[in-house]
Formats: sequence, C-alpha cells, structure tokens
Amino acid sequence: MRNALQNLDRRVIYLFVILAVALPIAFQYRVTPARLPSAEKFYDVIESMDPKEGGIALVSLDFGPNTKAENEPQAKVVIEHLMRRRIPIALLTQYALAEGFLKSVPEEIAADLMREYPGEVWEYGKDWVNLGFRPGNLLFVQSLAKSKDMAAELKRDVFGTSLKNLSVFRNVKTIRDVRLLAEFTGLVGVFDTYIQFFQTEDYVPVFGHGCTSITIPEAYIYLDSGQLDGLLEGIAGAAWYSELLSQKFSGRKEDSSMVINTALGVAHLTIIFFVLFGNIMGALGGRKAGSRRVSS
Amino acid sequence: MSANAWITATVIVGGISTLAVYSFLIKENPFYRFFEHLFIGIAAGFLPVLTLKSLLWPRVFEPMLGLDIVQFPDGTFSGEYHSSILLYFFPMTFGMLYYCIYSKRFGWLAKLAIGFALGAQGGLAFKGFFAEMLPQLGSSFKPLVVIDQGGHALIWQSLENCFFVFTLLAVMYYFFFSFKRDGKVGEVVAMSGRWLMMVCFGAFFGSTVMARLALLVERVQFLLIDWYQALSNILA
Repeated sequence: MRNALQNLDRRVIYLFVILAVALPIAFQYRVTPARLPSAEKFYDVIESMDPKEGGIALVSLDFGPNTKAENEPQAKVVIEHLMRRRIPIALLTQYALAEGFLKSVPEEIAADLMREYPGEVWEYGKDWVNLGFRPGNLLFVQSLAKSKDMAAELKRDVFGTSLKNLSVFRNVKTIRDVRLLAEFTGLVGVFDTYIQFFQTEDYVPVFGHGCTSITIPEAYIYLDSGQLDGLLEGIAGAAWYSELLSQKFSGRKEDSSMVINTALGVAHLTIIFFVLFGNIMGALGGRKAGSRRVSS
Repeated sequence: MSANAWITATVIVGGISTLAVYSFLIKENPFYRFFEHLFIGIAAGFLPVLTLKSLLWPRVFEPMLGLDIVQFPDGTFSGEYHSSILLYFFPMTFGMLYYCIYSKRFGWLAKLAIGFALGAQGGLAFKGFFAEMLPQLGSSFKPLVVIDQGGHALIWQSLENCFFVFTLLAVMYYFFFSFKRDGKVGEVVAMSGRWLMMVCFGAFFGSTVMARLALLVERVQFLLIDWYQALSNILA
C-alpha cells in the first residue's frame, strides 16, 4: 500500500486537482471572500469620486486570454463601479489580444445595469468609449501624458468616430482631466510604463491596478510607496471588490469572481494536502530506505 | 451564418482546443501536437496583420495619403492635408536600414538604426528608472518608532517598520561583495538576508501556483458552463 502511494501516478493528482476545481463550479458553490484592505482602498477611491467634477477614468485592459481568468473579473467589477457612479470611461489597451475585451466587458455590464435599473440608460459615447489597441508602448504613454489635447492626440475611437464628436471627451483636454487611471494586466512591463511615464512634473493621476497572482509580491512595493492608490490582488481582490458592490447594491447580479475564488480556494487546499502527503510519504520512505542501508 | 451560430461554433472550437491542450497531461499525442502547431501558426500570422492594421495603415500610410480626411455632406472636410506629413518617409527609410543586416556589404548601415534605437531606449529607460524608483526609495525611509497624534507609541506599526528596514538592509548587505565579510555580525546579517529572500521566493512560488490554478479554474468554468451549453444546444 505504502509503495503504491509512494509511486502514485502524477495523473491521479491531476485528476484530483481538476475535480477540486470542477465541483464548486458545477454546483455553483461560493463562500464569502476574505477581506482585502488594498481592494477596499481601490473601492474607496472610486466611491469618493464626484461625477459632477467632470473628467474621465482611463481604463487600460492589458491582458489577453492567458490572464483572462484573473484580470477580466477585476476589470468587470471596477468598470461596473465606475458605470454605477456615472464616471465616463475611456478604455484602451497596449496589448493586442485584449481588443475583444474592450468591446465585450463594458457592453455586458451596461446591459446588466439596464436590466437592474429599467428606464435608465448607459450608452456608448456618453458613458464609455473604446479607444482600441494603441501601439507604441512607452512612447504612446508619454505622448498621452504630455498632450495638450487628448482628443486630438488619440483622434478616433475603434469605430473610426472622431473623439471630438463623443461626449465622453467633451471636457477632456490634458492629463489633469484623467481623474483615475485603472490598469489591469499580468504583464509587468506594461504596468511599469504607466508608473514611469503617465505623469507630468506637477500631476500624477490616482492609480488603481489589478494584477495577477504571480505579480502580487511585486505590486505590493508600489502600494507601499504610494505609487498605487488601490490594488486588486488576483481573483481574491476581484471577489472582495464584488462583495463590496453587492453589499451596497442589493439588486446586483453576481459576477463570476465569487465562484472562481471559491474553486481556487478548494484547489489550494487540495494542493496543500498533496504537498503535506508527499512530504510525509517521502519522509517515511526515506527513513525506511535509511534503515535498510544501515541493516545491509 | 447567423451571429448566434457563429458564437456557438467559436465556443465549440474553443472547447475542443482546450481539451486538446490538456490532453498533454495524459501523455504526448498527435491531437495535442496538431493544436500546438495550429496555435503557433495563428500567433505568427496574427502579428504582421496586426502591425499593418493597427499601426502602419492608420498611423502612417493613411495620414500620408490623406485618406483620414473625410468630406462631410455640406462639402467641408474634417481636416486639412499638410504636406509636411510626407516627412514620415525619412524616419521610415531610416528604420528600414535594419534590414541591411542581411547584407554583407551594407550590414554596417543596420548599425546606425540599431544604435539610434539603443540610444533612444537607453534615455527613456534612464528617465523611467528614476520616475519609478525615487518614490520607492523615499518610502523606504520609515520611522522606527511610530508615534500617533496623542504622543503614544504604536507598537505594532513600529515593529513592522523595524522589520522592513532590517530586511532591506540585510538583503542589500547579502549582495554587497565589495569586500570580504569577516565579522560574525556581518555573517549573521547576510545569512538573515538570505533567509528573508527565501521567504520572498516562497511567496513568489505560492503566487505562481495560485495564478496557474486560476487559469485552470477559468478553463474548467468555460468547459462546464459555456461549452456544455453550446454542446447541449447543438445536440438538442
């Protein structure tokens, strides 16, 4: 028996992990996420914004299918919050594979909000604008930060409409009119570009960031130094943000972050179990091998 | 093909691709190999099209040819054509010197373009480094004894700051190779730095496992909800 367990086929472990992930999803099982102060900071930043003061939130979705699992739920909860607060949003990306999300995410949220509040309207051009994929990396970010007329600098949205004809950009001139920069990515380089270049000598916009789990330890440095005003740590950050939204808006349709976060927790417990189990079996096996060596 | 049928087909293909990639977990197989090559091919084809569609055409050729100027129904134009935009031709030509790298005779011309790119990137990196690091440097100067407005010492916050400063100095000292570390205290500090880094690497590794599992969760969710739904629709 011990021999069989020590030589356990790795595919059996894969099966257990997949089952641990699949069962909470199949039964839509969810637990309340842990409280995350950094996500709360992000929430408070948006909650304190007054839509009457004008300006826009610049939201950069720099993720593709490879980090969609964590970044998309983060982007959804923040965009939903901005839309609920009626803060105009300009969406863009520096990552080509994210173009699809720039269209699908706000449209989906607007449709949900209009179902929740019959009679109220969230519409393209007034509540959000899709600027599409913007190549150029740091040169683009720097030129945007220094621009005297952002609408002229960015010219057109993804559909070819001049930004001067869209009400989102009516009162937006310089970086000072960007009241919030929200960036979601698993790519450290794109995030660094905004930290380094999206500022002027006398103005740095409020910066909220959604990172993948891999980059959490690195992102904390920026939170500690005050370069970030809020942080969503992987899917757990999105889940806690979602919980905060649900507490405030009781009729809100729950998003996927809760179930993903629960499934992730169950999968972690499974892995911790296998790590402990493997070490115990390894120790027992080592002791046995050692005693055999001694006896021979 | 209607929009709904198109979405269903996309979901079905997505599900099959996901299963094909995960089939590698069982063992190497032709099904996995086929999809691996398919992904590489798509990625290789995607980039040139994207560069042309999102950069060269709208940012370079369209303005140079004046095609971005629209005529309104009242006969007026959305903008004026400035012939100075034709100056784009010079940096473009200069950038094209990169391709001289394939010629033995004109290879030296590529060095001009590479040198320019290196210089420009170096300058920007220099500026970026200071913009990123200076606030972090400033925030590392933390008070070792934190006192609130009432004059009371905040024990926990003070301990946190002390630990932060010790970690910072210990790790920096570990990487300080300018002279030989002889003293016992120096060795202990350097060893502490090493252990603290190990804790950090453990955190990084844990985060990596978490991120990889999140990818799996998203795929399983896609298979169990979207893919299953699409399959049910087809079978029904």
